[in-house]
Amino acid sequence: MKNRKDYFEPIIAFMVCTACITIMEGIVGMLFFPDQKMGYEAFFSPPIFGFCSVLFGVVTYSKKELSVKQVLVRRGIHLLLIEGLVLGVNYAAGAIFNPLATWVLVAAIAVVFVVVYVVLWLNDQRSAILFNENLKRYQQKIMEAEKVPDQFISH
Amino acid sequence: MKVCIKKIARKEEEQVIIECVEITPEIRDIHSYITAKGVKLSGMTDSQHMQRFRLEDVHYFEAVDEKVFAYADEQVYEIKMRLYEAEAAYGKHHFVRCSKSVVLNLMKLESISPALNGRFFTHMKNGEKLMISRQYAGALKQIVMGEHENEK
Repeated sequence: MKNRKDYFEPIIAFMVCTACITIMEGIVGMLFFPDQKMGYEAFFSPPIFGFCSVLFGVVTYSKKELSVKQVLVRRGIHLLLIEGLVLGVNYAAGAIFNPLATWVLVAAIAVVFVVVYVVLWLNDQRSAILFNENLKRYQQKIMEAEKVPDQFISH
Repeated sequence: MKVCIKKIARKEEEQVIIECVEITPEIRDIHSYITAKGVKLSGMTDSQHMQRFRLEDVHYFEAVDEKVFAYADEQVYEIKMRLYEAEAAYGKHHFVRCSKSVVLNLMKLESISPALNGRFFTHMKNGEKLMISRQYAGALKQIVMGEHENEK
């Protein structure tokens, strides 16, 4: 059975990813291509890259329970796929990067990737705090229900 | 309804007598509540001794290689029961499945925390750490958070 987390996580990832890509494109563009002029179609590039990045997240999905190590390996593959996608699309579009710009782009993609997972982890942390508060209430409620009032006890 | 509790000296003589005009659903509820209390289990210790222990002392049940173990406060017992049977029998005692191989006691759960792999760890009151499977996380949250889950 799927739970809410399975649906919301990709949506959160997409939103954060798109926002981060927009900022990243702005910074990398200002640094290396300050004179470049682009049309309105450029606005579509962050959501398209964001969508594809989230879609590539399918490599981290498994029906089996994965260990932390297995998950980290799959996340590494996920990052490589995203790097390949961004560099490949730029190459196909004819963008010419010098080695420094290429490495900055590679590092920026990795930063966006990490930021997305940090945001998802923070969201999990928030859920855990909420769960723990409710757990205390749940345990308290049960303990109170099971407590025998003193006035009922005779010796 | 009048309720009276009398302290006695001998454990073996403990009993509950319900005096009623007729057996109503409420009386049945009280009966099932009482019969469910003070559940004791039998299990084999590491030193191959059969011992009785209280269900409420169990932190969790774990299935390992076709065997099921009960992890109590100070001892681990092998019990003659399948994990799904323990889950069904002790669900009303706040035992809930958290992974394919573990059924934990919610009353012995200290807290949960997010794991690196997108799942959650449970921190038991005895200091042990268990993993919550994605498959069972929703049901666990539903039990604990109930109507508060919408706040998530």
